[in-house]
Amino acid sequence: MMNPPDPMIQPATETVASAARRSDGMPPREAEEAARRHITQVERRAIGNHGSRGTWMLFRRELARFMKVAGQTIVSPVLTTILWFIVFGFSLGSRLDQINGIPYVDFLVPGLIMLNLISNAFLNTGFSLFISKVHGSVVDILLTPLTPTQIMIGYTAASVLRALIIGGLIWLVAEVMGASTLHNPAFTLAFMILTSMAFSLFGLVVAILAEDFDHINLFPSFLIMPLTFLGGVFYSIEMLPSPWDTVSLVNPILYMVNGLRYGMTGVTDVPVGLGLFLVTGSVAVFGAVAYWLLATGKKLRE
Amino acid sequence: MAEPYSHRNLLSIKNLTKRYGALTAVDDVSLEIRPGEIFALLGVNGAGKTTMIGCITGLISRFEGEIRIAGYDVRKDYRIARQLVGLVPQELNFDGFFPTAETLRYQGGYFGHRANRARADELLETFSLTEKADANTRKLSGGMKRRLMVCKSLMHSPALLFLDEPTAGVDVDLRENLWNYIRKLRDSGTTIVLTTHYLEEAENLADRIGIINRGRLLRVDSRDELMRLFGRRWIEVRLSGPVPSGLMDRLDDFQPETPAPDRLRITFSEPAHHGSCDEAPVKRLMREIQRAGLEMETLEGGRNRLEDIFREVVHSDA
Repeated sequence: MMNPPDPMIQPATETVASAARRSDGMPPREAEEAARRHITQVERRAIGNHGSRGTWMLFRRELARFMKVAGQTIVSPVLTTILWFIVFGFSLGSRLDQINGIPYVDFLVPGLIMLNLISNAFLNTGFSLFISKVHGSVVDILLTPLTPTQIMIGYTAASVLRALIIGGLIWLVAEVMGASTLHNPAFTLAFMILTSMAFSLFGLVVAILAEDFDHINLFPSFLIMPLTFLGGVFYSIEMLPSPWDTVSLVNPILYMVNGLRYGMTGVTDVPVGLGLFLVTGSVAVFGAVAYWLLATGKKLRE
Repeated sequence: MAEPYSHRNLLSIKNLTKRYGALTAVDDVSLEIRPGEIFALLGVNGAGKTTMIGCITGLISRFEGEIRIAGYDVRKDYRIARQLVGLVPQELNFDGFFPTAETLRYQGGYFGHRANRARADELLETFSLTEKADANTRKLSGGMKRRLMVCKSLMHSPALLFLDEPTAGVDVDLRENLWNYIRKLRDSGTTIVLTTHYLEEAENLADRIGIINRGRLLRVDSRDELMRLFGRRWIEVRLSGPVPSGLMDRLDDFQPETPAPDRLRITFSEPAHHGSCDEAPVKRLMREIQRAGLEMETLEGGRNRLEDIFREVVHSDA
């Protein structure tokens, strides 16, 4: 017969239990006092924090994210586009007539820049937010005291910056290679900023609503790309046979491409004011939808 | 804006209900958390623990009822409420873009912290992640990812920390370390609410334990009270011969059972709560076996599982 081990009587777990614990369920007095001090401290700090640094850090993070993969996010689109205008603008373009009174390469550059602004602005916010939803790390943002507006600013500012870097590089290379696109640089830059803002906000909206990667790719492939190509990037709509010249007029991106083209070359197929109105309107509409989604927590906080 | 913190309780939940269509994930829960306590929310998977925490921390914005942290409404005054709370979510997450230390610096930054670098290094050190400071979060093992999540939640030094199943899938060593750290954190002034479905964990850490089932908070007791009411141990012995009925009678107050003719099983409440005048159940069992002229061939023991306690609580509640 074996002897029963005495330690059986003692629950093994008690050996690691905190000595400070009380049996009535109240916290240890020192812990409670420490907690009250801590609460007051955090509260004081919280009241003084209005989120400007938080917004800045979100922007910095977003910036660092695309800069870490700059090969994909910056270099690749710039290189591809340069190839486009070398081939189409300089080699083929030299055999084409002038379009609307300017050389084809000058006509082409704003179109290609617009194409890049739109897709990169959209993809940057869209991809970044959506992937953090997939990885679950979006909670890191949702737990912060950042307001909907601050979250929008953080994401959008980085996205606009990426679009501007790409657009700016393409513009620079085009100028260096002899294109003449400095009709109204201030207007051009403002127009570039507004367009990138509109599409990065659009990307934000899509990322919030998207439930799968296809939803993110849907818009660039089936909406943005076709509308951009049909939006007078490579040709003037005056060159289209009837009724396509008229049909093209319902394409909002046509006005954006032409707005930028006006800024760079002074030439446009459609009224510039309408283009300006459309991009500003898009910023307002996508901004309002993004704000509403973030403020109500639809999809993100459910 | 709410009144500055002057309340007795750090967290105050009043009639919280969260429905998803026909499903009521959290059903009319009211709960107060005291500053400085460790509170364990005990429940099986799907009991509503995570949903409840989501409502408190801002991950779920639509619910019925009212939640205040240090007097601040988690929806109206979310800017302040969210700086007071921290959360280690149950599901592992990582963003895969940045190295460990950088991830932490951003996280502190979102909360407006300036001394980020020092804080991040300190936490990495505490959780033995210093070596991985420059490694991409994607390359961390599961246990390291979990530790990183704990670091992230602590970057802004929250006053109230939620740990949602902190030791799920964590090995024993790490679990002990985590428990010790949780105690230390509490001693230095962080109030802690953790969810678990391990009774042992709740018993080891918590001052109070709340039992939640199908969205309803069935009861909240001090740990000792809960163990006194529901904690049970059992001992089962195989004897050298069949169990005589006389032996069964003499052990009547231990709910004796005979799972097999030569097996005897007794159940008794947690030894820690036996009155000092009572004889310890093991001694008593030994004595009675000897008196019956039998010998003990094998002995095993254990304690009732959370499921048993659950069944009992749910039953006593109905």
